[in-house]
Amino acid sequence: MDLGLQGKRAIIVGGARGIGYCVAEILAREGADVAIGARGEDSVKDAVASLARYGTKIVGKPVNVKRAEDYKAWFAWAIEALGGVDILVPLASAGGGMGSEQYWQNAFDTDVMGPVRAVEAVLPAMSAQGKGSIVLIATTSVLEAMGGPQPYNAMKASLVTWGKQLALHHGREGIRVNVVSPGPIEFEGGNWEMIKGTMEKFYQAQLRQQPQGRLGRPEEVARAIVFLASEAASWCNGSHLVVDGGFTNRTHF
Amino acid sequence: MTVTWDTARMDVRRVVEVPHVAPEDCPPGGTPVEKAPDPDLGTALIPAARYHAPEFAALEWQRMWTKVWLLGGPAADIPAPGDYICTDIGKESVLIVRQADGSVRAFPNLCLHRGNRLRPEGLGNAAEFRCMYHHWTYGLDGAITRLPDLCTFTQGGPDGMALPSLPCAEWNGFLWFSLDPQVEPFADYIAPLQQHLEPYQPQRMAMVRDVTVEWDCNWKASVDAFNETYHVQGIHPQLQWYLDDVNVQIDCYERHNRYLIPFAAISPRVAMPTQIPPAIHEIMVKAGMDPAAYEGSVGDIRLAVQRFKRAHGAAQGKDYSRLNDDQLTDDYHYLIFPNVALNVHADDILMFRQRPHASDPNRMLYDIWVFELVPDGAQWPARPKHRHFRHGDRSIGQVLDQDAFNLPTVQKGLQSDFFPGLWIGEQELRIRHFHKVLDDYLYGPGGKRPGDL
Repeated sequence: MDLGLQGKRAIIVGGARGIGYCVAEILAREGADVAIGARGEDSVKDAVASLARYGTKIVGKPVNVKRAEDYKAWFAWAIEALGGVDILVPLASAGGGMGSEQYWQNAFDTDVMGPVRAVEAVLPAMSAQGKGSIVLIATTSVLEAMGGPQPYNAMKASLVTWGKQLALHHGREGIRVNVVSPGPIEFEGGNWEMIKGTMEKFYQAQLRQQPQGRLGRPEEVARAIVFLASEAASWCNGSHLVVDGGFTNRTHF
Repeated sequence: MTVTWDTARMDVRRVVEVPHVAPEDCPPGGTPVEKAPDPDLGTALIPAARYHAPEFAALEWQRMWTKVWLLGGPAADIPAPGDYICTDIGKESVLIVRQADGSVRAFPNLCLHRGNRLRPEGLGNAAEFRCMYHHWTYGLDGAITRLPDLCTFTQGGPDGMALPSLPCAEWNGFLWFSLDPQVEPFADYIAPLQQHLEPYQPQRMAMVRDVTVEWDCNWKASVDAFNETYHVQGIHPQLQWYLDDVNVQIDCYERHNRYLIPFAAISPRVAMPTQIPPAIHEIMVKAGMDPAAYEGSVGDIRLAVQRFKRAHGAAQGKDYSRLNDDQLTDDYHYLIFPNVALNVHADDILMFRQRPHASDPNRMLYDIWVFELVPDGAQWPARPKHRHFRHGDRSIGQVLDQDAFNLPTVQKGLQSDFFPGLWIGEQELRIRHFHKVLDDYLYGPGGKRPGDL
């Protein structure tokens, strides 16, 4: 199956590690040019260097999603560097945590306004060319109550609603918007690796809830994201794809 | 901060340069941070028989336990005249008694008549010590104040009509004693740790935990267990998201030693996370920080906590002025020879006293004492009750349970004919140093000969 990614221009926010890096890697391997942004200067540099092996155009620059003006400027830079944009995957997240009100602010600034500003930044170019694909990233924690009453879960839930609205609103312009909700994903330096090391019993309990007895790998989610982002998913719009190895008990009627 | 080994060649994922306070930025008279020159202690096996042979335990008793200064207890446990600590060491038991003039004295806990113990182990207050058997009675100073029917002892009363006096000292919030009347002055014995430990001002800390656990191992197996950080990657995997077990400075002094471990740090053995690990989150919350408001990277939290505590400590009633910045996060871990291990921190002290069993070298007593800084103006918490149990009967917390878990099986292996001795690496230099100091007591300084255990 041809994904039709050759020569496409993709922007990945949060693309230096984990799922985001895998998305960038698959896109590059499939022939797309990629711009990645992430917090850490070193991690961006490393990711760009590593992605260069696929021979497409790879650019990257550190960005703090919470600084609205810098973030907008970063998008202007990325779109210019790629000479346009066809695909957007904004993955950067403030992560979990609860207690102080600041967690709400962090989740709002990063997990909500991060994608909102990203979408606003790419819409003019996408509408002008009458084509574009956006994949938003939610979480299985929006589908079932887990992890406590965390701002992360509630804020991520808003992306599912907003993503559908975007899809309806911009479909006429040839822009597709889909949402992917990953279950727990384990990778080096990731949260679940740390949980495995620091909360062994909790980690084992998670494994027992997994039909396949393991957590997901970043590339297993990234492949689904890239599919939805690609031409091969031309009739997928406004969908919400759960990629969790069957972890959630919910049935998708 | 100086690390002896090549961290890049160890089983690590990252090479980490840990920032450390410069000696010139330490408060005057503060804890020294300079690396002490490493002693050349060779690479020989440490014979396993030292951990189980009855003759070696006897030698330890005769030439070490009865010659050194030993920790008796926290001075705050006996504030008033007549308050006493009764504490056992090996086959002996000692009374440490607060005198009317505020000084302390120590005596063997026994009646000179027929040898009965005067008091059970523990704390108390007494106007006098009266033997339960025939009511021989001793004053707080150890003098016999009543000897019923003295006239029937034609030989008179015991020499001096008093319990023998044992050397006793009060230092830095703790009471110390020796079984050797000829022991060197305490200040000479504890040197150079005065400058190291006095800046922490433990008198400002309240005891919050007092537990004794019976462990089925030699007391030295326990001392060894806390004398190296090499075991973190083995038995404490979770601590790799709490401390840096690789960038550790070891300092060996004349008889005591220490290591300095960066806390609120990520071990180079694991990938740097982007989320704040739970235990480091707790460090931040305890310092009064809001982890959600922290904008930096996880790797920089240690310095952020130091800066925050330096800026806000005084307002929280916590005076850190005698401590350097590293001490606001890091674990300065000392072994006071022979048997006291202390993790000293700006806000607490986690202290272990490791005592030999009276007769069985395969058993020991492990005392856990925890002290927490009481902020100015805060209420002094009630002293916890002493609890005593056998290994495994109750949890002593995740980390210490992990430490304790292996010790009985270590002790079994130590007794095997196929285990000649401990194969010690550079990261375990303190273990080698501890055994060298022990050897100097047992065989005289440098007097150990081939064939000696």
